[in-house]
Amino acid sequence: MDPNTTQILASGIAKGAAFLGAGICMGIGALGPGVGEGYVAGKACEGVARSPEQAGLITRTMLIGQAVSESTGIYSLVIALLLIFTTS
Amino acid sequence: MKSKKMSLKTVLIVFFLIELIIAFFFLGSTLHIGTNPDTGQKIWFEKKTETMNQEIDFDIQPDLYVEKYNVEEPWKFTYGSKNLYDIFVKMFGTGSAILNFRLWRMILYLDIFMILLALFIRFKSSKIPSKIQVVFEMVYGFIDDLVAETLGDNKRHFTKFFLTIFLFIFFSNWSALLPIPGISEPTKNLNVPLGLGFMSIGLVHFLSLRKKGIIDYAKGFCEPFFIMAPLNIVGEVSKVISISFRLFGNIFGGAIITLVISSLTKNVIVPIGLNLFFTMFAGTIQAFVFTMLALTYLSMEIVD
Repeated sequence: MDPNTTQILASGIAKGAAFLGAGICMGIGALGPGVGEGYVAGKACEGVARSPEQAGLITRTMLIGQAVSESTGIYSLVIALLLIFTTS
Repeated sequence: MKSKKMSLKTVLIVFFLIELIIAFFFLGSTLHIGTNPDTGQKIWFEKKTETMNQEIDFDIQPDLYVEKYNVEEPWKFTYGSKNLYDIFVKMFGTGSAILNFRLWRMILYLDIFMILLALFIRFKSSKIPSKIQVVFEMVYGFIDDLVAETLGDNKRHFTKFFLTIFLFIFFSNWSALLPIPGISEPTKNLNVPLGLGFMSIGLVHFLSLRKKGIIDYAKGFCEPFFIMAPLNIVGEVSKVISISFRLFGNIFGGAIITLVISSLTKNVIVPIGLNLFFTMFAGTIQAFVFTMLALTYLSMEIVD
């Protein structure tokens, strides 16, 4: 086979694998934070229903907790973006 | 009072309609502010020729803009006969020598803005507070209460540090709202969150060392047994990584998503909503989360 063709084929395969990896990374990485944030929101709903006068505090705490638990999803997003944009 | 509100709303609606017309009229072209090297115009529209990938490259590495357009022009402040930009170039070299020159400049402008804001609030403050003073007193009081709750009443002097971190991250996240091409939030570059993280965790360790003394500080690392010491050191390093990558990933990912979706919709209206969520909401939340986590790490070491 022509060495030039081989090189093009290899870079194409690498790019395809990177895109596939980015997709899988985002898909699996979004599972955990989704479940966690939903659980936090549900518990916050219960808390607001139990004591509506604390709604502001509960909402604030919920948002911070969600932002912290979101971080694993954000890491997977960073890795997916790196895979997409740095593979040439 | 009511008529004033109505007039403000009318002005906003008029601006919105004008922007709508401009957006549809110049569909697929971008507004540039600076000096066009070919025609010498200060403000001009240009049909977009870049692909989305190139655009994202521009967004990640704004130094590429310096080569393409002469966008330095609006940032040149003249001071006497000397040009401030030329002084910077003399001091630090051109952008090609230091890759992060644009980031540096962005941080410097942000610092100058924050210093001016602080001086303005300090010297304009009075017993009958103005609106901006009320807002900043509220922010100060909020962080102050948080510090007093977490660290104890006698450690209120840490408020300055955490308030500075909060305001720096907040303003740098919101600087993405400035509609000038080539501008970028400092927090979108990994170096800035990493530096902030190292600063926070370094402060924690310094204060822990000063409080406990060197022997107890070293003992703290081999907490359950001596064998666990490497694991504890890795844990301390991972604190820096987790706190900084959270901020970086949120801002960077939000910027990329905004860029991709707004170029898919030809920059009509949708970027407003995206900026509203990713820049303003997520930016504020992340600034607060960073401050809160740094405070928590500090309280774990200092408070008995």
